[in-house]
Amino acid sequence: MLDLLQAILDGVMFGATYALIGIGFTLVFGVMHKINMAYAAASVGGAYCGLLVLVAFKGAPAWAVFLGAFAAGGVLGYLVYLACFHFIPLANPLATLMSTVGMLLLIDEIVVHTTDGMPQNYPAMFDDVMLRAGELSIRGDLLLIFGVGVACMAVLLALLYRTRLGLATRAVSQQPVAAQLCGIRVAQVNAATFVITGLLGGLAGALIGASVGALSPLLTVPLTVKGLIVTVIGGLGSIPGAIVAGLLVGGFENLFQQFRGVTERDLYVMLLLFAFLVFRPGGIFASGAGRD
Amino acid sequence: MKTLATAVAAALAAMALGLPSGAAAQERTVKIAGFGAKSGVVRSFGVNSEAALLAAAEEINKAGGIKLGDGAKGKIAVEFYDDRCNAEEGISVIRRIASADWVVAVGPTCSNVAEPLFGILQKKVEDAGDSGLQMPVFTDVAIKVGLAKISQWAFRNVPNEFTMYSSLFNFVRTEFPDVKSVYGGVEEDFAHSRATWYAVMKNRADANGFKVLGESKWLLNDTNFATQVREMKKADADAIAISAHPFTTCGVLKEMQRQGVKPKVLIGLTSSSSLETLEGCAKQAEGMIIPTSFAPVNPKALAAAKSTSKFKGNADLHSMAAWENVFILKQVMESEKVLAKPDTVAADRRKIRDGLAKLKTTDGLIGVSRRDTDGEAEKPYLFVRAKNGQWTVYHNPL
Amino acid sequence: MDFYYGLAQIIGVHTLLGLSAYIVLLTGQVSLAQAGFFAIGAYAAGMLTVLFGWPIVPALAVGAILGAIVACAVGFPALRVRGLMLVIATLAFGEGVRLFFFNFDYQIARGDIKVGPLGGEGFRQIRYFPENGWTTFEVMLFIWAIVAIVMAVLWWFDRSRYGAVLRAVGEDEVAAQSVGINLTAVKVSAMTIGGAVAGVGGGLYAHYTTHIEHTSFNILVATFAIAYPIVGGLASVFGTLAAVVFVQGFLVEGLRFLGDWRNLLFGALIVLAMNLRPDGLVDARVLGRLARVFRGVRRA
Repeated sequence: MLDLLQAILDGVMFGATYALIGIGFTLVFGVMHKINMAYAAASVGGAYCGLLVLVAFKGAPAWAVFLGAFAAGGVLGYLVYLACFHFIPLANPLATLMSTVGMLLLIDEIVVHTTDGMPQNYPAMFDDVMLRAGELSIRGDLLLIFGVGVACMAVLLALLYRTRLGLATRAVSQQPVAAQLCGIRVAQVNAATFVITGLLGGLAGALIGASVGALSPLLTVPLTVKGLIVTVIGGLGSIPGAIVAGLLVGGFENLFQQFRGVTERDLYVMLLLFAFLVFRPGGIFASGAGRD
Repeated sequence: MKTLATAVAAALAAMALGLPSGAAAQERTVKIAGFGAKSGVVRSFGVNSEAALLAAAEEINKAGGIKLGDGAKGKIAVEFYDDRCNAEEGISVIRRIASADWVVAVGPTCSNVAEPLFGILQKKVEDAGDSGLQMPVFTDVAIKVGLAKISQWAFRNVPNEFTMYSSLFNFVRTEFPDVKSVYGGVEEDFAHSRATWYAVMKNRADANGFKVLGESKWLLNDTNFATQVREMKKADADAIAISAHPFTTCGVLKEMQRQGVKPKVLIGLTSSSSLETLEGCAKQAEGMIIPTSFAPVNPKALAAAKSTSKFKGNADLHSMAAWENVFILKQVMESEKVLAKPDTVAADRRKIRDGLAKLKTTDGLIGVSRRDTDGEAEKPYLFVRAKNGQWTVYHNPL
Repeated sequence: MDFYYGLAQIIGVHTLLGLSAYIVLLTGQVSLAQAGFFAIGAYAAGMLTVLFGWPIVPALAVGAILGAIVACAVGFPALRVRGLMLVIATLAFGEGVRLFFFNFDYQIARGDIKVGPLGGEGFRQIRYFPENGWTTFEVMLFIWAIVAIVMAVLWWFDRSRYGAVLRAVGEDEVAAQSVGINLTAVKVSAMTIGGAVAGVGGGLYAHYTTHIEHTSFNILVATFAIAYPIVGGLASVFGTLAAVVFVQGFLVEGLRFLGDWRNLLFGALIVLAMNLRPDGLVDARVLGRLARVFRGVRRA
């Protein structure tokens, strides 16, 4: 019984990483009603860029690397916007989807070429801290990630509901034509969305790298898949939904692994997704304001 | 008279130019193709193999080249093709190589390319009804057990993990008498690591008198090892053997550090004895013992490593197999009297195949390898241990 | 020449993969499940020729039928979700099929060796073509005969009422429904046909690579399946063919002389292609121009 609880707890804590990536996916979808398949790749790419801080300043502390990844993520986010969304007419969802796939492949290849595909050691904060709650133990660095996720959620919600940019963003997501008629520059709002999610993505990539201990191109595709699953289960466009869904997916993953072993684990995660799609297609927190 | 003289002079000149001059005709090109993965997480393998092939070719060419069947000398030309670790592309690459005038191909890197690729080769040489490709392939890296027997045109120069781990567990038993139990960690979805734990490590540990307490499993892409390491902690074995590639090995080692799991002996997978593991987690890998078929332990090996680094590649057990392959091929080509002429390509390929099949022993960088009738190698090996961020020789049974 | 025949084989099978996604895309559904049907066709056809000694054509037919049945079964629940959710649901299904084969063992002893799929190790020695003396040229002709038939059928659909109905549903479901089109029948039938085409493609794939395993049918393959019709354009089947030639012929093999740059250009050129030609390489305008050229040739 204790083993089971510990396994679930381990999974839920690791789910915080999925939650972080899911927030970015869901935000882009909520605002632009488009999938950015390159999001996880750009986040991991941002994390790699963070390592450049170590190259420049040999003994830099972990938070400096995270900051570097944060900034690089924003830049990459803007580049993805330019390459995949700015010039393609918005009426072509398939073209934007495919161009983000091309971007994912491109970012992956750039990473592989610069690192020769080898895993890169990543600095971490609190990675040797293990908190104890009775018989159960919790990883300190994952708790930090959870904290960052909640903080990001608070910042983003404040941004969306208490600033002019947020107002413009919500307007564009609901009725882009009407928003344009009101004088809102749609292109600027979309670019801002990408920069903001990019910043978050860079930070997420860095924290995920820290929790895994090493960065590798192997991370990109599984993170993309998890991010998409978390987005759907949490509700398209819902930030609190992404966090809850991330923790949920993490917990269930470990639960399935405990009962059915690692080879069948992902099969059951897929079935969980199907269950949600059948019984609650809107997700946990169905977003009412969106159009899809 | 003058016209006749001019005509005769012109005719003589034409004859002189038309006749092949003695020296120029003696130099021909022996074309060896290399192929492997230069994309994705396995890119370093392709880069290193290419460097080793180029370095070996340069060394042979500097010493005069290969002695061909008709007395001429042939200089080796190497070109490396990237198959991106993809089966279809690998097959396309070998067809491309076979359609041109390469006489032998060295590769591939990935076992999941090698298996389909060997499948499209002609299975048995005497079978005229088999329309498979007739091209000798001499593998340097792809290590999944039992592939060379798929075709008589396929040969490999990869270490025999069964022999190496057998010797390693024997060594551990004598060197660490207080180590009685073993627990395993295995990457389940990668054919090589999976086969190595169940068919080799577990089997040999048991055969050497250790108590195998079980194994923890994970997948190639996994990033969360909390449950698996908890199982390890509970089993509390004296030794832990991890059959996984560098990325997940590092993940598991870091989790082990976090949960305070410190076995007396830590054993790793052959292919993880490379730079990758040290780049990812040098600190946590400290003390890990891995059997390998290459280490720079003698002047020949050191020189090979140095030459390879000139071409921007690292010398490890995989790339040095490629180096050895070039020298073995030189030996085979000379003994089978390969001609390397544009119209003898098919005959040369057959000669090389027959020559490789006849070999009973080959010269390796750290000792003599034996070859079996399936086309596989039994290479000399030694044990290395991670110490201060380097792989140092721990025990040399040679 | 052998190399070009081999390349033509690859282009043929990838065209089938692309066409299976094309027909589903016409109805407005982005399906990442085609790699799953491809896998089902591959394992089914492989098992029939290797384990039970069936000849190749009936084995492929069974692969196609199984692909169609499973696709039909997926088509119904797929009706309940749309947009991004359908993409994810089909992605999850495709991954589910891959994981199923990851855990699937079915071996029969043949003499002293065992043949058949073995979970993570894969399914080796599917050597129907070399064992029966088929040359690379003959295999290529066989594959292209099948591709030609499939393209002809889909081309005929496009010029018939069925094609118009498919595209109507893809353009605007509400309008289509209000004209009396049965959405369920259209969407599920498109999915089923896509499944059949993918099943045949998978069967051919298994036989020309001689070894398949679960990683041969991963997300990347599913993504390529929809990439071909999207990059090529949904205006006609030739768009998918053009895209396959562009990707496999030009990007993969044609750019080989660039060495390491080839891989970097791969992603970059796809992004460029989508920016320059968002409606695909062969869009309605290009098609119109080609039609005028052919009409002019015929008159001359």
